[in-house]
Amino acid sequence: MNDVTPPGLLHAKLAVSPHAHAKIIAIDTSEAMKIPGVKAIITGNYAPILTGSPLADRPPMAIDKVRYFGEPVAVIVADEVYIAEMAALRIKVDYELLPVVLSPKEAYQRNTPLIHEELGTYKRHEQVYPEPGTNIANRTKIRKGNMAEGWRNSDHRIEVEVSLPQSDHAAMELRCSSAQIMPDGKVIIHSTSQSPYIIRLALSDAFQIPLHQVIVHTPLVGGSFGGKAAIQLEFLAYLASRAVGGRAVKLVNSREVDMISSPVHIGLYATIKLGCTSEGKLTAAEILHLYDGGAYSDRGALMSRSGAIDCTGPYRIDNVHCDSLCMYTNHPYSTSFRGFGHPELTFAIERAMEVLSKRVGMDPLEFRFYNAIGPGDTSPTRTILDRSNLGNLPMCIAKLKALLDWDDRPLRETDGDIIKAIGVSCFWKNSDTPTDAGAGAVVIFNADGSVNLLCGAVEIGQGTRTVLTQLLAERLRMEDRMIHISTDVNTEKDPQYWKTVASRSTFLVGNAVLHAAEDAITQLKNITAIVLQCSPQELDVGEGRVFVTEHPDIGIPIKNIANGYRYPDGHTIGGQVIGRGSYTMRNLTLLDPETGQGNPGPEWSVGAQAVEVEVNSKDYTYRIINATTIIDAGKVINPVMARSQITGAMSMGLSLASREALLFDDRGAVLNPQFRTYKLIRYGEQPQYIVEFVETPHLEAPFGLRGIGEHGLIGMPAALANSLTNATGAALNHLPLTPEMIWRTIHDSV
Amino acid sequence: MIPFNFEYYKPLSVEHAVEWFQLLQQQGKKPVYYAGGTEIITWARTHAIRPGAVIDLKAIPECNVMDLNEDQLIIGACVTLSAISAANHFELLSETASGVADQTVRNKITLGGNICGNIYYREAVLPLLLANTRMVIAGIQGLRESSIHQIFAQKLRLENGEFLVQTRTDRSYLSLPFIHYKKRQIGNFGYPLVTVAALKKEHQIYTAYSGVCSFPFRSALIDHTLNDSSTPLAARIEKAIEQLPAPLLHNVEGSARYRKFVLKQTMADAVYALESR
Repeated sequence: MNDVTPPGLLHAKLAVSPHAHAKIIAIDTSEAMKIPGVKAIITGNYAPILTGSPLADRPPMAIDKVRYFGEPVAVIVADEVYIAEMAALRIKVDYELLPVVLSPKEAYQRNTPLIHEELGTYKRHEQVYPEPGTNIANRTKIRKGNMAEGWRNSDHRIEVEVSLPQSDHAAMELRCSSAQIMPDGKVIIHSTSQSPYIIRLALSDAFQIPLHQVIVHTPLVGGSFGGKAAIQLEFLAYLASRAVGGRAVKLVNSREVDMISSPVHIGLYATIKLGCTSEGKLTAAEILHLYDGGAYSDRGALMSRSGAIDCTGPYRIDNVHCDSLCMYTNHPYSTSFRGFGHPELTFAIERAMEVLSKRVGMDPLEFRFYNAIGPGDTSPTRTILDRSNLGNLPMCIAKLKALLDWDDRPLRETDGDIIKAIGVSCFWKNSDTPTDAGAGAVVIFNADGSVNLLCGAVEIGQGTRTVLTQLLAERLRMEDRMIHISTDVNTEKDPQYWKTVASRSTFLVGNAVLHAAEDAITQLKNITAIVLQCSPQELDVGEGRVFVTEHPDIGIPIKNIANGYRYPDGHTIGGQVIGRGSYTMRNLTLLDPETGQGNPGPEWSVGAQAVEVEVNSKDYTYRIINATTIIDAGKVINPVMARSQITGAMSMGLSLASREALLFDDRGAVLNPQFRTYKLIRYGEQPQYIVEFVETPHLEAPFGLRGIGEHGLIGMPAALANSLTNATGAALNHLPLTPEMIWRTIHDSV
Repeated sequence: MIPFNFEYYKPLSVEHAVEWFQLLQQQGKKPVYYAGGTEIITWARTHAIRPGAVIDLKAIPECNVMDLNEDQLIIGACVTLSAISAANHFELLSETASGVADQTVRNKITLGGNICGNIYYREAVLPLLLANTRMVIAGIQGLRESSIHQIFAQKLRLENGEFLVQTRTDRSYLSLPFIHYKKRQIGNFGYPLVTVAALKKEHQIYTAYSGVCSFPFRSALIDHTLNDSSTPLAARIEKAIEQLPAPLLHNVEGSARYRKFVLKQTMADAVYALESR
């Protein structure tokens, strides 16, 4: 998006807070306004509204106080980017420092400073349960079974405490939004976003603009991983444009701003008590999740809910007590990240499973296999599971064992100074979308029989738009190169899609596409029936023709019907064939606020993963040798892309587990907002990746497919921690797993 | 991006460079010499520095020399780290240089820039400290040459308006037994926790360190301790650790305690490796 600069475009830059928690006493923009080329400077009071969903707690620019290091306090609009940035440096703000709250655990203590004093007054859009007078933005409860009985039946009981820090999405493309307000009031937004339709809704709501007057364009997005699902720069670009009379203004983040001021990957502090019988059957789980939502709750409040919904991992546990909270801290605020709360919850439960399996003396995969959740069991939200809404975990584990030669190899072996070890993890994920999340699709035939597919799924590098053309090609029995789909989404012309998140695009949009294909097929058959003087039921569509099923040589090429059919004498019937379809989530319900009972999503995808490491026992440096994932994909639509989605996700999971973390000083300032000091895994440091699929169809999905965009990441941190724990003997429960972390765990326990 | 205007000058000779510097300084433009420019970009984009003018030294012939003659290896200050490693006249220097940043950045970082920059690791200086390299400096008075030990103390002590033109290393050092270890927080790229460069001359081991303190250094005291073969190695290391010229670094790469752990191991590995050679 930043590649295009139309003439007359103005540029905006942010001035941000150097403090993690402080009152704003005064803002002086006079020095900045003096710089030639500066067109406007706006601050918090220019837009005294609160944004955010499900809890509206965030002003577009800070008002009265700042709550995180890097929070926007002003937007400068200028002729050139460098002028805007120069001006941003000249903005003088008087702050009065406030005490900082720097961890979710600290935020949870009584008598900790309040980050949101007015929590009780915030508007609530969806199910969300903030607790005014505390730093709790949301609490989700799971109360299932009978805990007293569960503990009574536990012969073994363990407890673990884990933590994962916040980190960055680190997409290649920086976040960028532009806005223009036309003389007739239309607002045109371009944005690197996963959520064009939500941008439209949010701007309409926030600024009282009629919905149809907000038009959002999203081009091909250069990577996102959940970070561009949040709406932040769009508000600011709109306000900036308004401040200069509607002229087009573009706002691009520098890398530092993209890492800190725009929302980050959520962190977690959790404690889990887990019990089982002497045979190893899980009996009870008591879980406390304190998610680090940062200064504003954004989607953190829903990620913490996801943390509750799937809190047990893919295991059968009859007695579950879980409180999953989204905490406010004076950290940058968190938004969706690949996995949506699951990498974090999985790390917690899988470390607990590992410790318990050792206590019982069972092989780690056997233990997981024995307790694997299956058809007939219920989820923590008491949804009854069956072969369709639940993938096949025992099959994934069995396949993992076979691939790794599990029974013929030791978990751990030494070779001089080097210790080789393997660690495993299982995972599951259902989505936690609104119960009315849905998609539309339009299939337009061109005169040459080719097809244009219109839909609202954003291409963020996951190849969803390609897969959608494949689904359509399959249904129309056409070559997929005859199906055209653009790379951008335009909310004015493309049918609405909730947003491109949750690994649900191929499911929701895919079903809409198939529905649109059916509609197009009906139209083709209806016209052909008249021409061939038969009934539509006798016809079939495929290979570019509509033909009589019993006598395939009798038929008409689609290109002769796509725009209506013209008889030899000129008489024409029908018109352009335009198939339309839509699909909305079915049978989802809200969760009971006391017990968590409800049906949160369409299906649980499952998988089993393993990581093998070689650790140098002298200095605790290590190499990741292999990483393996077996996932139940329902139906693999595009094998090469599916494999690279899983591999890419695994790489992200290993990177974040081994080295990614935002580091803070004791005043809450971020110490490493640049790639010089924020570490990412590199070429040459990657393991060999092994990915295999199991296919158990999800009966409501196109061809039985299950969403797999996020899942490769989910169990990787836990598998890495388990492998390093097996190697070193030190219980590694805190990320990131740098050699120093391993050394400290070993030495601090001595 | 760099959010301010600045002037750019590209002198073709040492004299012009020095003259321009004086002139620009008198004009209050706060001039800065540079070659690769990676540090200027790094500091300027975070608004930590604000030069009014930059003087690009890359067109000065003496700064681009890389010449191995009968007596010396002469390397110009504007030669990039990747060029130095590729030519490989001085293996210890090649190895040390190729541990800095990554390939793409090493194509821009120059020997002079790495030594004279504000980022305090300056790893490329370690082999020069060990090889008693001579440094050729340009100033208003012309060129002067001195031993590195007379002008490098934590950083290169240059007078205002001076810049490093060349380094001259005696051939006798180039093929001595050497060792180079770079330990990082994790992986193969990034700033050092501990970098140890060492060589052995006439049965004595000489060591130099970066990442350990907030400056690179060589210490006669530490070398004396490490060469004392009458004491067991572990005891030598314990003593050497107490002789560091400053407290251990504590930063985002790692804590001081962990650095101590890594340093002890790395020192021991270095001594052990060279003792037998």
